[in-house]
Amino acid sequence: MAQVANDVGQATVEYLDFPGGRVQLFRGGAGTPVLFLHAAGGAGEWHEFHELLARRFEVFAPDHPGFGGSDELAEVEGVDDLVYHYLDLIERLGLERPHVVGASFGGWVAAELAVARPDAIGSLVLLGPAGLRLPDHPVTDLFLLTPDQLPGALFADPAKASALFPAEPSIEDVLTAYRDMTAFARFAWNPFLCNPKLERRLHRITAPTLVVCPSGDKIVPVEHGRRYAERIPDAGFALVEKCGHAMYFERPGEFAELITKFLTTGADESGARR
Amino acid sequence: MKFVFFHLMPYPYLPDDFDERYPSPSLNFPRKFFDRALGNRLYHRYLDELEYAERLGFDGIAVNEHHQSAYGLMPSPNIMAAALARRTERAQVMVLGNAIGVRGNPLRVAEEIAMLDHLSNGRVVSGFVRGIGWEYFGHSVNPTRSRDRFNEAHDLIIKAWTADEPFQWISPNYEYRYVNVWPRTLQEPHPPIYIPGAGSTETMTFVAEHGYTYMSVYADTRVVRRWFDGYRRAAEEIGIAPDPEKIAFSVPIYVAETDEQAHREGRQHVEWLFHKGLKQSTSLVFPPGYMSPGSMRGLLVAGMKAYTEMSYEELLAGGYVVVGSPESVTSRLRELQEELGFGQLIGLFSIGDITHEQTTRSMELFASEVMPALRPLGVACGVTAAS
Repeated sequence: MAQVANDVGQATVEYLDFPGGRVQLFRGGAGTPVLFLHAAGGAGEWHEFHELLARRFEVFAPDHPGFGGSDELAEVEGVDDLVYHYLDLIERLGLERPHVVGASFGGWVAAELAVARPDAIGSLVLLGPAGLRLPDHPVTDLFLLTPDQLPGALFADPAKASALFPAEPSIEDVLTAYRDMTAFARFAWNPFLCNPKLERRLHRITAPTLVVCPSGDKIVPVEHGRRYAERIPDAGFALVEKCGHAMYFERPGEFAELITKFLTTGADESGARR
Repeated sequence: MKFVFFHLMPYPYLPDDFDERYPSPSLNFPRKFFDRALGNRLYHRYLDELEYAERLGFDGIAVNEHHQSAYGLMPSPNIMAAALARRTERAQVMVLGNAIGVRGNPLRVAEEIAMLDHLSNGRVVSGFVRGIGWEYFGHSVNPTRSRDRFNEAHDLIIKAWTADEPFQWISPNYEYRYVNVWPRTLQEPHPPIYIPGAGSTETMTFVAEHGYTYMSVYADTRVVRRWFDGYRRAAEEIGIAPDPEKIAFSVPIYVAETDEQAHREGRQHVEWLFHKGLKQSTSLVFPPGYMSPGSMRGLLVAGMKAYTEMSYEELLAGGYVVVGSPESVTSRLRELQEELGFGQLIGLFSIGDITHEQTTRSMELFASEVMPALRPLGVACGVTAAS
């Protein structure tokens, strides 16, 4: 286990062995456990947003197989496999009904987890979640966007994207991004970023649920989040204004605050503990 | 030297604002720009050119597969090969190739090539390609599975052509409970196989091991040299003497009476091919997982320019195209043959927005003046692998 310290705070990095490779996990903070599942982007880093959550919770932020510092695992080739992967991970970490927070692609995985094992998680928070097939509200084809289009597509204020997208990326930067997109495509190319059966299964979710969407999402239209909130029993819905699909990269404070508030008021009834 | 006349069948009638408005002629370039009557005439013109190539003495006539693109109008190369099979008698009918990485049902390729072998009386050549990146978007095939799909489809097709009894096929991407392809191919054990290479060492070894023909794609001469050397080394390592005829160099060629005329006329067509036809973002060409991490690194380190950023002069100097009088084209191809050591030349004569008259004149000059001079080359391996 190694300590990482950066300008936003401190976390530990550890590696968990799975068949076919190992998975990188960031861990920080103390309190009720929160499993955070990252989006297509956002692997391999402990962000200001994680640090803010870690003020109240013990945050577990693994990189999905094939993303960031995690190996590609041959046995994990679809989102159904990812669900079993995270059930295994929850067990390995000894977490009992952790809160699960997922962003975009990670939101899809979180919803699938809550559908498959409603009893295994505490509360559920979906941030700009993908995963539904809504032909009238198509998801932007991330795979077709060119590097110069990404900041404008992901951020309400593209100026905030400069840290994420260097003007002159090195070969290593390009290879890292290509590796993450390859891992993402493995799960999301076809059917495109969805499980057509997921919507009709959402009624199974028993966890207290909050859906948070950025108002200016140019990747996953807000209607996707609204549909989740309609189909998941008693789910809440919140919008973060002046924000694009980059969400916590663009407005870390607002996202962390909404999540913290929801999880602290709902924590007792959800029963999350270690 | 073996000579192949290769056609891409481009749709040259692009709108005037193509350069400003459209990022590529492929995938999303609207089909409304396909003029039904003009397009109809193109198919017949292009097939006429392929048939004419046989009469001029080319050893092979070749078609390929592209989807949803003005770059090439052959979503089904096997249909074009069928159209050629009964209108020609001598030349090999070469499908270069079927995009078996994209094809949903590769067993269909085994069936169609077997039929073509009979229609052509044993003249068919079967190329296998992965398909260009944009085709994985267009046909909704996961590019992260591209290599596996290609390898599995290849193994399935070869087994379907060679097995005597019905068999069951189960691999990660394909499952068939009964494989029993009728007809058998006319050629034994099956038609010759061509595989394009673009630097992957796995491909070089694969092609050498199976005794297939390794063909280049459009690239700088130094880069093609590395690929061909890699192939020769791979062959030597497994104890096979590399047959020069199994090393095929692909290049667009334009011949006119004089150098001055050739360049004056040829420039525009070459620029159409590389600046319009091959205008495409890296997202379109290399979707995620299409390239292995090692190949992607190799590509980035090589720092090759995009086709659209290369001037006509750079394309000529880099050996991407050969343009000139019969004498100049002969001497340039001789130079390239000495450098690269190929024994088969796959020429693209109908370049971009070139006219039918220019194409046939260029073919005639090539066949009467260039071909005889180059014919003796490449029968023995003049170049050995650089260590």
